[in-house]
Amino acid sequence: MTLVTVEIADLKTSTDPDAVIVTYALGSCIAVIVYDPVRKAGGMIHYMLPMSETSPEKAKERPAMFADTGIPLLFHTMYEMGCKKTDLIVKAAGGGALYDDHGHFAIGQRNYTILRKMFWKAGVMIAAEDVGGSKSRTARLFVGTGRCTINSVGEETEL
Amino acid sequence: MIERIEILAGIKKLPAFSSTVVRLSSLVNDPEAGPGEFEAVVQPDMALTANLLRMANSAYFGLSRRIGSAREAITLLGVRRVFELGAMAAVDAVVPETLPGYGIDANVFWCHSVAVAVIAERLSKERKLATPALTFTAGLLHDIGKLVISSFLADRIEALHSELASGGLSLMACEQKLLGADHAQIGADLGAVWNLPEEVVKVIASHHTPNVVNEGRGDILVDLVHAADCLSHSMGFGADVGGMNRQVDDAAIARLGLRHIDLEHVASRALPEIEGLSQFGRSQRKGTSA
Repeated sequence: MTLVTVEIADLKTSTDPDAVIVTYALGSCIAVIVYDPVRKAGGMIHYMLPMSETSPEKAKERPAMFADTGIPLLFHTMYEMGCKKTDLIVKAAGGGALYDDHGHFAIGQRNYTILRKMFWKAGVMIAAEDVGGSKSRTARLFVGTGRCTINSVGEETEL
Repeated sequence: MIERIEILAGIKKLPAFSSTVVRLSSLVNDPEAGPGEFEAVVQPDMALTANLLRMANSAYFGLSRRIGSAREAITLLGVRRVFELGAMAAVDAVVPETLPGYGIDANVFWCHSVAVAVIAERLSKERKLATPALTFTAGLLHDIGKLVISSFLADRIEALHSELASGGLSLMACEQKLLGADHAQIGADLGAVWNLPEEVVKVIASHHTPNVVNEGRGDILVDLVHAADCLSHSMGFGADVGGMNRQVDDAAIARLGLRHIDLEHVASRALPEIEGLSQFGRSQRKGTSA
């Protein structure tokens, strides 16, 4: 098994059937996980913030920090690997929230809203998601099979 | 519930905190103190000097030449930065390999501590506030109580999981329910034993309850560390058994005048600095608890 770790504000892809793409500690951040069962190719982004207009210069250095620059980059990277949009299975996890009555820290919610808007515009369906709540999550994609798991406080669930 | 005598025994088991860093912390607050005074305190501490030089000569600072003395480090990086690096080395030295009650290893604790230190300073700058001299240090040390009570929580881990799973209670409230004490109170006890500056002890005691400080008027240092703690957890630094079960204090956020755009701007700017500085921990490695 080869572990491919996606850091915060990072994206990774793989066609190695032994690879497991993993990202840890999704708080308000969101992981978008894409899998092509035809070509056995997988990819994952761990973005931190919704909009690159917050810090355009950071978006140039690290486009995967933001949903609006990172998610298109993930899909284009998959297309460059020969994947077709219609074959891709798309899943999402993260977007958690603190106990925050006035929504000062509603970064997770904003991260999820922009994701839904972008996918609606692009005609992308989300096959499965584990989003929101006060959980911190670890997401894994097993490239050989397309299996996707979420771990939170010692419990593993299939996504 | 745990008895006070057990807490004190837990505090005694921890290594002593660097007395050099405690002495430096009083110099940082002294407007009369210059580089010479800092050098006089740092230089006799060979372990701290060696750590400082290791950090100062790392790629992170990108200095054009290799530096070989505390004096050069102070000249090139400034007294504030040298003090902050010293505080980091001191904290790094007392963090155990694992904190079983929180389900994390030293690396997660370390990265969260560095993240809160960096974010607290950046939030202050974002709002153009007069940044208190000990902001970074207070951020770095805010969670030291966890080092003491981790083992007590570990003995009650099933009850803790069950409380958290049933929802509604913050991690702090669960600590209170299961132990009759929480990491903020016990951290303040530890801070006093370590002779940390009073304002840092106040932050440790109140970082989850900033609205009770100064009869509800608050304190800028406590507010900054509270907001930084919240943002750090949002960004995923410090993910432990409590997940995101942490209460945001609206009054503290309002006193700082923070809007979501400020928080997101600071998060984007702070990330590279957190990544750079957290590399200096001895325990830096991949993987977390979740």
